[in-house]
Amino acid sequence: MNIAGMGLVTARGRGIPALEKALEQGWVPPLEVEVKGTPSGRLPVYAVAPETLIDKTVLVKARRADRFTRMAVLAASDALADSGLGDTLDKSRLGVIVATALGPHATTFSFLDGILDFGDAAVSPTAFSHSVHNAAASYIAMTLEARGPTLTVTHFHFAFHQAILLAQTWLADGRCDAVLVGSVDELGAVLQHVCGRMLAAAADGRIKPFAFSSAPESVPGEGSAFFLMTRAVTGSGYATILHGGAAPAGGTLQILDACGFAKDETGYGTTVRPGVPVTGYAPVFGSLLSGTAFHVAAGALMLKQQKRYAAPVQDNPHGLPLGDPNDLTPLDHVLCTRMDWGGRVQELWLARIPVGRA
Amino acid sequence: MKILITGMGVVSAAGLSVVETLDGFAAGRRNISRTTPEISPLDYPVFAVAGPFCRPDPSRSRTLQLLFHALDEALSSARLPSDLTGLRVGVCLGTTVASQLNDMEFYAAYRKTGMAPLEPVETFLKGNLAEAVARRVGAEGPCVTIVNACSSSADAIGVGLGWIRNGMCDLVIAGGGDELSRIPICGFGSLSVFSREPCRPYDRDRQGLNLGEGAGVLILEAETTARRRGSAASLFIAGYGAACDAHHLTAPRPDGAGLETAIRESLAQAGIPAPEIAFVNAHGTATRDNDKVEGTVLARVFGGDIKVLSTKGYTGHTLGAAGALEAAFTALALRDGWIPASAGYETRDEEIPVGVVRERTPVSGRFALSTSLAFGGNNAALVIGRPE
Repeated sequence: MNIAGMGLVTARGRGIPALEKALEQGWVPPLEVEVKGTPSGRLPVYAVAPETLIDKTVLVKARRADRFTRMAVLAASDALADSGLGDTLDKSRLGVIVATALGPHATTFSFLDGILDFGDAAVSPTAFSHSVHNAAASYIAMTLEARGPTLTVTHFHFAFHQAILLAQTWLADGRCDAVLVGSVDELGAVLQHVCGRMLAAAADGRIKPFAFSSAPESVPGEGSAFFLMTRAVTGSGYATILHGGAAPAGGTLQILDACGFAKDETGYGTTVRPGVPVTGYAPVFGSLLSGTAFHVAAGALMLKQQKRYAAPVQDNPHGLPLGDPNDLTPLDHVLCTRMDWGGRVQELWLARIPVGRA
Repeated sequence: MKILITGMGVVSAAGLSVVETLDGFAAGRRNISRTTPEISPLDYPVFAVAGPFCRPDPSRSRTLQLLFHALDEALSSARLPSDLTGLRVGVCLGTTVASQLNDMEFYAAYRKTGMAPLEPVETFLKGNLAEAVARRVGAEGPCVTIVNACSSSADAIGVGLGWIRNGMCDLVIAGGGDELSRIPICGFGSLSVFSREPCRPYDRDRQGLNLGEGAGVLILEAETTARRRGSAASLFIAGYGAACDAHHLTAPRPDGAGLETAIRESLAQAGIPAPEIAFVNAHGTATRDNDKVEGTVLARVFGGDIKVLSTKGYTGHTLGAAGALEAAFTALALRDGWIPASAGYETRDEEIPVGVVRERTPVSGRFALSTSLAFGGNNAALVIGRPE
């Protein structure tokens, strides 16, 4: 399965140029928001700027949609546009899979506001219909006229991994010619409150992916990353997603999705492949339960560009070999590794598209 | 590769088990009640599950309690142990309500003081249906919760089918669950789709839907795997189709093109022509739009003589549980050779050109169809088969 196009909305902006710039630039200080109940009364966050979500062309059918849906529609639409296949695909065979850990919770709470403020019989039907988890997928389908199967899936740690598996089966079964698969999660005020009270915030604003700490620190983030997946390699393609987990030979880079959202990240130490350089971009995207999608985007970009971006935060108490931007040897594979709260690990392998096929 | 249904478990207002549900269907029993103050201050008819589920459990959502009940019956009927460690097991379950952190007390406290008790968050974080079931049975294969509104658990069965066919696991726990909750009662109420009386799917004078609650679980296994462990199960999932209307967030596409695509895809995957379908257990919510669009499509694909029923007259609309419950009811009807009366149906709607069954009716074919339509324009169709 091949990544033919990508679209991203993050705290660092929208689109592939914004991704490149963010990876080039590295760490920048997060915003600080006021959150009651936290030790400092403040929480560092990576939030998507409101102006990032303005697009009167793409969002014309989603003009009443909430932030969650807007992020997803923009990322999905950009992925299709980035592939260059938008005009040639049979839209009745274009599938959509949206992965999310928490769904459009801000709209859910907005709906609860309606109940508390106006009573059960006077709530907004619009808020209700937009609070349903699959509203974003529906808007993507309407915006892009995608009439293939459309699914929204949820899992607190591996939603994106499961979405990728599903896209592979849809393509393998011939159910679709292409699948837009991606993740979206938002950071509303209530979630900020919950994060501030349940998790340790990074006082210096730096997520440390290589610390493998028993009390990791986080900087909650939000955003959306989408990929247009096709069976065959395309001209603008980025990378291939491999089936299975056997370690391929050749130049490999391992991206650790250690973002501070696990209660204990010591287990990441056992996931590191001996001799394989590691990196981690959570300090760019923020802490996200669905963060793997953003790391897959970073990995796919590096495979296409044959370029390694420096780890944005390089605290490295275990002396791991870090990915070196000056390493000009071929980059053949990227391994994205994520661990859940129970220590279970999921991996996604990306491979470079062979020269001459792209 | 044939994917067998080796076990089934159901719980809804129609019954707490397969046997109890079929007894209720045979008797035409409609266990309808009213919303209680604990659920909602709005007064509507609902299909609530009675019995041991009345006790609130702060550590586990009601949806999860319903789901575990159906799971236990499904594993037992499949002659499987409650611990499946060591087997290649996937878990794919659908829901709507259980996917949301929508605890009113939690949120009211947050609004009032800026502080909120975190116990509801802890319960929520342990309550992802697929994750919770995977932990309960020791499943280590693919695991995901489908949140596709009212087609969630039909899609979950379709996803499970794909997993087994692609060799990702040998056995899938597929289905879904949902509970009666203040949130969808407010929401559907705001959309003016509730009936003030017991729902009448497909009836000319239908006024809307009643909400219900429940869970349905199917154990899916590749035939070779099932036979190896001695299973004699014979019902099977023959095909699954899904397509999106790409039309509107809450209303079905008027021409039903998405549903028709889903149905034709399910038939193609089953490898059968439309006349092979003996009956359709329709989504049949009893809203004006759903039944008209769905009935028109069914007539277009199968002709006006196709036998159609909606079991929502016995269960209410159980949202994320509906697809799995109705797939199970469809399979049971094929097994036993009869379908119940479509409860609530009395008068033919001349705008809906299909024959809806008014009484218990014998069926003799090998295949049947269960359809699901959902918010977001999702359409799903499952073809279920039995051996010759």
